[in-house]
Amino acid sequence: MKSRTLLALTASAMALPGLTSQARADAAPTESIISYRVSSYQEDDLPLVHRLAGSRERYDIDVHQLRLLLPVGESYSLTLNSSYESMSGASPWYAIRRIDGSAGIVMSGATISEQRRDLNISGRKYLENGTLGANLAVSHENDYDSMSGGFDAERHFNDNLTTLAAGLSYSSDEIDPSDAELFNRVTDESKHSESVFMSVSQILNQTSVIQTGLNITHLSGYLSDPYKLNDRRPDSRTQTAWTTSWRKYLAGADAALHADYRYFHDSFGINSHTIDLNWYQNIGASLQVIPGLRYYTQTEADFFTPTLNFAVTLPLQATDYRLSNYGAVSGSLKLQWQVQDFTLSLSAERYHANSDYAINHGAISDGTQSPALVSFNRYSFGLDFQF
Amino acid sequence: MKFSVMNKLITLAVAIILAGSLSACTPVAAWERGTLARPEMALDADPLETTLNNHIYFSKEASSGGNSASGGGCGCN
Repeated sequence: MKSRTLLALTASAMALPGLTSQARADAAPTESIISYRVSSYQEDDLPLVHRLAGSRERYDIDVHQLRLLLPVGESYSLTLNSSYESMSGASPWYAIRRIDGSAGIVMSGATISEQRRDLNISGRKYLENGTLGANLAVSHENDYDSMSGGFDAERHFNDNLTTLAAGLSYSSDEIDPSDAELFNRVTDESKHSESVFMSVSQILNQTSVIQTGLNITHLSGYLSDPYKLNDRRPDSRTQTAWTTSWRKYLAGADAALHADYRYFHDSFGINSHTIDLNWYQNIGASLQVIPGLRYYTQTEADFFTPTLNFAVTLPLQATDYRLSNYGAVSGSLKLQWQVQDFTLSLSAERYHANSDYAINHGAISDGTQSPALVSFNRYSFGLDFQF
Repeated sequence: MKFSVMNKLITLAVAIILAGSLSACTPVAAWERGTLARPEMALDADPLETTLNNHIYFSKEASSGGNSASGGGCGCN
């Protein structure tokens, strides 16, 4: 699989404690839960008008996920998370300016087919006034391996109305791009990340809870994308994310509102805002309908260039659309149906990215938007069983 | 979408969230927390879906972090 500038904060490295807990005294689980999800992720083809060469077919990914939560004794739990992804499709290789001034995309020539497997094992100890957790994770692809681990702790205060949480994690990734000799790519590169997270959760009243947290991550090593032409990025990156989540139950509607906001800033010069709203509507005792809306906007990286200029060699440059100035809107709908100890779920999402959706869409580099911005559909089916 | 419109939408959403935090922290006894324990009130109501969503967004956007697992690997293409 092709690498990208965002070094994987792997599953374990990012199994941050904040969103896994409530601001109340935790008790060890007394029942086991096994969950399975199968999902289909389908990107739209690159519009013909933007393609200069290569396949228009972008990525399709089938994902199988399995999760097992097991109580261990009276004060411990063990969680196993595993996933298998099967991917195929082509992706943008580079962009160049055409005679009419617009950007044209050269796609990777052949459809790539590959797989990713990962496993995450975490344990938690439940104390009188908090919890302690640890986890390890591995991820494997034919050209990319990642290992990570982390610790976290939670402490309840204020009659269990307030919870403070903190965590540390580390990941080490190895990259060995395929067809390195043929395309003059790097070989055997590595990258590392260290991450720290702190959060506070507060029960506001009988029907609402809020959490806010700060996550700082430092990445170092090979952060460029070896599969993109002349992609040269800094060898270190510091990311800061501030998140706030609010949950509110509305008794009159028998529904819960989930509102999440994230502000992100990094040393590449990227700033972003993410807003995620979901409405959990109960219908009767066993059915739940969950519509959702998400908005995302980011500024471009300092070294982003919409098209390559082969006459000039810049120390840092990238035409990756994910580093451009753009926004994205997605809508989702999920149905959940509980039957005794089983829960069935069906969900669908439509995601569309466009430079016009960006807050500061007038500040697009070179006046040219990246035509490779992605749109996709995702469908999932899930089954949970509690025993 | 115009800058001013999106900016107002973001401001509105942040205001909604902050309004929740400012709506007074009232003492809630342990036996009054039944609603908070409902599954739909969890901060992460569906860990598997959260993991997948974060992995997709991590792979397609320049931002990550701040919430639960983003998934291992280098990200989708």
